[in-house]
Amino acid sequence: MGAFIRRYLALATKEFQQLRRNPGLIIQLMIPPTIVLVIFGYALNPKVRNLRLGVVDESFTAESRNFIDALTENVNFDVTRVYGRPQDAENALKNLELDLFLVIPDDFARSLNRGQTASVQVVIDAVDANTAQIAQGYLKKNLEDYNTSRGLEIPGESRPRRILIRAAHAAPPPGAVDVRPAYIYNPGLVTAWHYVTGVMSIIMFINASLVASALAVKEKETGTIEQLLMTPAQTVEMLFAKVTPVFILMMVVMFVALGTGILVFDLPMRGALWMFAVAGACAALAGIGIGVMVATVSKSQQQAQLLTFFVNPPITLLSGATSPIENMPEFFQRLSYFNPLRYLVTIVRGVTLKNAPWSAMWPNLVILSAFAVVLFSISAWRFRKQ
Amino acid sequence: MIRKIFAQALKEWRLFRRDKLLIALAAVMPIALMSLAGLTSSLRLRNVKLLVYDYDNTPLSRTYLETYGAAITFNLVPHGPHESPEFALASGRGRAALIIPPNFERDTRRGAAPIVQLMIDATDSNAATSLGNMAAAINASFARNTGVGEPPMLPVKMETRLWYNPGLSNPVYFGTGGLGMMLIIFPALLGALATAKEYEMGTIIQAYASSLTAAQWIAGKALVYVLVGVVEFVLCFALGMFVFSYRIPSDPAVLIVATVLYLFAGVFFGMMMGNATGTQSAAIQGVQMGSFLLSLLLSGYLFAISNIPAQIRWFSSLLPATHYIQIVRNSILRDVGWGTSYRPLIALALLALAFYALNVLQMRKMQFKA
Repeated sequence: MGAFIRRYLALATKEFQQLRRNPGLIIQLMIPPTIVLVIFGYALNPKVRNLRLGVVDESFTAESRNFIDALTENVNFDVTRVYGRPQDAENALKNLELDLFLVIPDDFARSLNRGQTASVQVVIDAVDANTAQIAQGYLKKNLEDYNTSRGLEIPGESRPRRILIRAAHAAPPPGAVDVRPAYIYNPGLVTAWHYVTGVMSIIMFINASLVASALAVKEKETGTIEQLLMTPAQTVEMLFAKVTPVFILMMVVMFVALGTGILVFDLPMRGALWMFAVAGACAALAGIGIGVMVATVSKSQQQAQLLTFFVNPPITLLSGATSPIENMPEFFQRLSYFNPLRYLVTIVRGVTLKNAPWSAMWPNLVILSAFAVVLFSISAWRFRKQ
Repeated sequence: MIRKIFAQALKEWRLFRRDKLLIALAAVMPIALMSLAGLTSSLRLRNVKLLVYDYDNTPLSRTYLETYGAAITFNLVPHGPHESPEFALASGRGRAALIIPPNFERDTRRGAAPIVQLMIDATDSNAATSLGNMAAAINASFARNTGVGEPPMLPVKMETRLWYNPGLSNPVYFGTGGLGMMLIIFPALLGALATAKEYEMGTIIQAYASSLTAAQWIAGKALVYVLVGVVEFVLCFALGMFVFSYRIPSDPAVLIVATVLYLFAGVFFGMMMGNATGTQSAAIQGVQMGSFLLSLLLSGYLFAISNIPAQIRWFSSLLPATHYIQIVRNSILRDVGWGTSYRPLIALALLALAFYALNVLQMRKMQFKA
């Protein structure tokens, strides 16, 4: 046992010295958590604002202008232009000058004043399905508000102006049941928190695998692996020594990422820090395992990195870090259970945002550590076989 | 001049042909990745687990629940015995919890406006907002259908037409963007690898010493990978026709011209990375950051460009993917022809030229004077 530790320490020192001479790698490991995290946090914003709305007002009455005001009095729509004919608005939509347009027919005011239902038409460019759906939701909400307030309106009095906030919802008729949404864990609806926690997890996992595969292959490429094989050290000791610096670096990266999230995006840290650390350590080990496995099957750094290009996107996409897992087809949902990153994402969000109870966290932690042990053992076995 | 370019291209092709792994990856990866990304990235919610806490348990409260169950967005889940909604949400057993108060039916019949609470896990704020709105809409329709409360007032009715993608299908959106993503990643990667390899092997010296000018050497090399890219384009387009309901545009010329320009821009960018770094692994990293990550984030593939903060939005127009994805969506989905695509086309051509010029500048510094 004493010999084991002595040899391990000697090898680990060698690895540390090698790493120190390779500042490029350290930079490559340190830059992503800060820069990528900040860019992701700021740039990824699925919120839809300032939709360009064209208006074709054929009615041209006080009522129709009132209606247009009611639909557009919040930040969601910008009335870009008023068109004389629907064809002009159509052309503008085709030329991508508009996102949607509204047509108010010439009998609008007449129908309203007679107490009949007036119809208006909306045409939305639905190529971006998500935006189109949200735009439709905004319109419906504003229309319901208009209809409700118009129903309550006493003829002759001007329509009360109201401000629609983002979380405002379609109002049911008075006296009927109402539903009150309560947004827990993130009552301010900060978009960045979701992405920052997701990207943080991706970085921990993917970077570990990239660096580990690069380091493991390098020894093979430069031919120094022969020297290592001739030393009395056993393969397991070699592997442990090799991954120690990567592992320590990854732990540093992890806390840098967390610090960036807290400082730049006010990410709350509601749960236990040690759980974050343990989960991160397991994920780093699992990532290193995958990296070493990739390295053992490839002959050059180039091949290794191409292979990680092949392995990493599915892991990222199927983790729920950026898009919800429930939305995926059934098959992919099942597949995601075999993805260690999925559990890491759950734990990271559980620890930072939710302060999730221990009974909900431990199954994830157990599965993640099982992945770490299994992946790392397989990589050790493959490494030894060489 | 042209003969020299072709000779260089032919040499490059022979080299490429020999690396079987690279060929396999170049052919298989775009298709595999495109279908995976197109089918799994969807921001629209479906089958969201909704935990049910019905403290009234009357026919009316069950009808109320059924209204939620009938929507494709929600998937009703019973809660465990003695499981509080806070606990269930924290453990991720559901994304939202619906709490119906006692006396719900009685209060509704009296017109006393009972309040149903919906607790939403807002970790994903975007999903949370749309869940809240969805619930409000369902609630309003329940109120209308049961005819409790005041009779519904419908002074204005709205008819919505969804153009170009009437089914609001996300795969259609991501599938078209995915074509742009695939064609920027892989050709750029191949270009970067091929260039960096010359530096690693030292064969770049031969290029310096040969009678080829830097411009010819680069053009010849790029030609091969653009052709590989064209093959990838055909494969991806075929996949798109099967999986993402692509239609062949009535004027395919726009798309074809744009694709070729785009591929040149991508390959030149990759070669630039290869020239700048000189090692294959660093070049791969460069391409991964430069063309994959930036295009993924800022090109309008995932999120509309207008959502990107103004301080970094200008950067989008420097990415070839931004312009190409727009042209792809214009021609495949909107089928609008040249009219709206000429501006992105010019931008693509300028970007391709700029990358080419940068390559030539990089190379010329080191070339021996003839």
